[in-house]
Amino acid sequence: MSATRIVITGMGAVTGFGFEWQTLWEKMLGAEHCVCPWQPDGVGDGTFPVRYAAAVDMTLLPEALKDHPAWNIALEKRSRFGWVAATQAVNDSRLAPDQLREAAVLCASGAPQHMLADMLLTLAPDGSAPGWQHLMPRAGQVNAEGSLRQSNDRLARVIADGLGCEGPVINISSACAGASQAIGNAFQMIRRGEVNVAIAGGADSVLNLDTMAALYLLGAASSEQRWGVDLCRPFDRNRSGLIAGEGGGFVVLESLEHALARGATPYAEVLGFGSSLDAYKVTAPQPEGRGAALAMQAALDDAGLRAQQIDLINAHGTSTPLNDVAETLAIKSVFAEHRHYRSLTVSANKSQFGHLIAAAGAPECMVTALACLNDLVTPTVNLHDVDEQCDLDYCAGQAVSRRVDFALSNSFGFGGLNTSLALGKYREHGQ
Amino acid sequence: MTDATVRVAIAGSGCVLPSGWGVQRFWSAASEARSGIALLQSKWFHSERVTAFGHVSDEDHQTSRQDVAQNLQRYCPPSVIWGVSAVRQALAEAGLEPGNDGLRYGLYCCQGGYTHPSLVAYGELLHECRNESGADMRRLAQRVLQERALDPFLVLKSLSNGLLGIVSLALKLECECNAYMQGVAGNLAALRQACAALQSGRIDAAIVVGAGSELDPLALAALAEAGVISTDGSQTLRAFDRQGTGGIAGEGAAALILRRADDLADGPQTCLAGLSAHPRVGSLNLPDKQIDLLVSSASGDPYKDADLARTLARAGAAHITSSVPVTGILSGAPSLVDLILARNALHAQRVPPIIGLQQPVDPRLPFVLGEGRDAVLRDCLVINRDDNGFSACYQLDYQAAD
Repeated sequence: MSATRIVITGMGAVTGFGFEWQTLWEKMLGAEHCVCPWQPDGVGDGTFPVRYAAAVDMTLLPEALKDHPAWNIALEKRSRFGWVAATQAVNDSRLAPDQLREAAVLCASGAPQHMLADMLLTLAPDGSAPGWQHLMPRAGQVNAEGSLRQSNDRLARVIADGLGCEGPVINISSACAGASQAIGNAFQMIRRGEVNVAIAGGADSVLNLDTMAALYLLGAASSEQRWGVDLCRPFDRNRSGLIAGEGGGFVVLESLEHALARGATPYAEVLGFGSSLDAYKVTAPQPEGRGAALAMQAALDDAGLRAQQIDLINAHGTSTPLNDVAETLAIKSVFAEHRHYRSLTVSANKSQFGHLIAAAGAPECMVTALACLNDLVTPTVNLHDVDEQCDLDYCAGQAVSRRVDFALSNSFGFGGLNTSLALGKYREHGQ
Repeated sequence: MTDATVRVAIAGSGCVLPSGWGVQRFWSAASEARSGIALLQSKWFHSERVTAFGHVSDEDHQTSRQDVAQNLQRYCPPSVIWGVSAVRQALAEAGLEPGNDGLRYGLYCCQGGYTHPSLVAYGELLHECRNESGADMRRLAQRVLQERALDPFLVLKSLSNGLLGIVSLALKLECECNAYMQGVAGNLAALRQACAALQSGRIDAAIVVGAGSELDPLALAALAEAGVISTDGSQTLRAFDRQGTGGIAGEGAAALILRRADDLADGPQTCLAGLSAHPRVGSLNLPDKQIDLLVSSASGDPYKDADLARTLARAGAAHITSSVPVTGILSGAPSLVDLILARNALHAQRVPPIIGLQQPVDPRLPFVLGEGRDAVLRDCLVINRDDNGFSACYQLDYQAAD
């Protein structure tokens, strides 16, 4: 149990739903999703097998954000989304600039996205083999927004510099568990007394030809055509793979003492964090969900919670055949006592805004916090024919009103990395 | 609850570096002033401007491969293989066998910011699919998807948590974990997390490992453009030298095993007594006492090194050395390598020289020139500065066997 209490006091999310968490929450409660037709740039003829994604729609950019510096300097797309989300979170928290000076920035992002145009510069003008020597004389033509000029720590640096944070800057790269790891590490840093304030989350976009092609070839991305835009259906018998989203999400975490001293109102309390490894396969989860169960149990232990106290699990729920069964089994093993898994509600946010890859854990943590705050659970949409191996209450189709005192938010990553965050309803006098 | 008074000791170390496979080879190279930097060689590209690199040799790569099961190697860029090998060395020195020793582990990994396959993976493909306006994306997509012209494991090899996944698979570790990126900042975050987990009693042994390679034309171009590496054809990295001509990149991996000092048997111990960081090296919090040894990063750029030297002067160290001329500038494990050097110096009571240093940027500072020297060493500071502006400081205390 922690002596220092840590609360969420600010949230910012950029997703296919738009650029504000309030819009995200409202649309999710309305059982909407933002998956749309998508094809990679330059392949607009429908031949690319992955045809749907939850892309960020720039036409939804609100007037107030059009002047944000993220749109005006050379940055990768994902970094723009992340910087805007972090700014939104800080604005939401109402932290003053001087209160941000000591803040830590913990940021997750995925693999660098090479710009094909940059790589074309390595081809010799005479058509001979590619080589670096061809690139250097044309270095001025290198795209300023590509990975060649944007190392993987760029986003964290931009956020820290842009918001005036001089505390620790930490870059986390743990695939689809990245943002959750960032939030968990931020929670631990505040608990240890290293900082009072942390901005934690992530940003990612894999909506390009080469990454989506690789995900498709690995069997992870869905190429299903039958359901049109409604193909992301976690725990459904007809689920067929992940539907990529893009965007960013950041939360502001503070020690409760710091938050109350400045008059902030917490959304929810972060109570615990657990991580684990499957040690099973690089490309597939352990079939019985052993690693996922270890992470959930570690989060419960860290929070000092009993399994029976949990009301909601915000599932990783990728809509892939392997993950959803393994996660269900993991939940059933952790919450086996008194068959508490029958009392839980499980919700899969990816059915609504897709899989944000390294950023996924951040908006999912926010939605979990809002569930604790409002006693409302967002639905798993497109879940019409529940897989017989997935036999929990997944909150199918519509949001439900139920008491949410304590919840877990799960995020699992390629390579067999699992994390779980334990959140609770904020109470003035503790849990 | 974390108890910061719990002392954390380095119980084992391992490395695969341009100086060779294993800590002994690294220490010998540093002590004998042998640099691992050599002519840049790649079957994929050639450069007349960047001509030197700190390579891990093919022989050492083959030795490292023996530490990774054949079925895992297809997921691994070379640096991940070196990382696994470094971890196995460190565990062996610490006398640990995960799964058989009853200890609870934590695994904390760092990788460089640039990832392995880029031009190598795409070059031929782009070459085939080029048209007058750039690339024929339809043709490219067709080649990738229907003819499998792109390595489908590319996305896995490009993940900066690949090291974490492969180490966990190789050692069957199901423990708490995290993966960090980017040199000094990543190493610090991993070490800090490892120490906190040990001090809280959550784990009994922490594996901290870093690995990276920038032997890739796009990555080297980025480093050259950022001014991190020299483009004048220089073959030598002259740390803290007025004649320095810039940096030279290196590659490799290093691993440490950390334990609570009280859990270790009697014998000489090197403890990690303090960690601090700041975006500005000049604002680093340094201990308020005389230090026997200082191990520092260096850029090879005389102006940057003179700036760094002003901070080193504040430390009041009796001897200053650097590992960078031995290995080149490392992306994945810079601080871990310096900690290995520091630990060996403390154990040997000997300070290795800064290779190639002839005209120090500040002649008043006790840089070790020429040959190594014996010295009484009870403590050591490691000061690291990253090219992204991040700086870290570690304090090591040495306790000889009673």
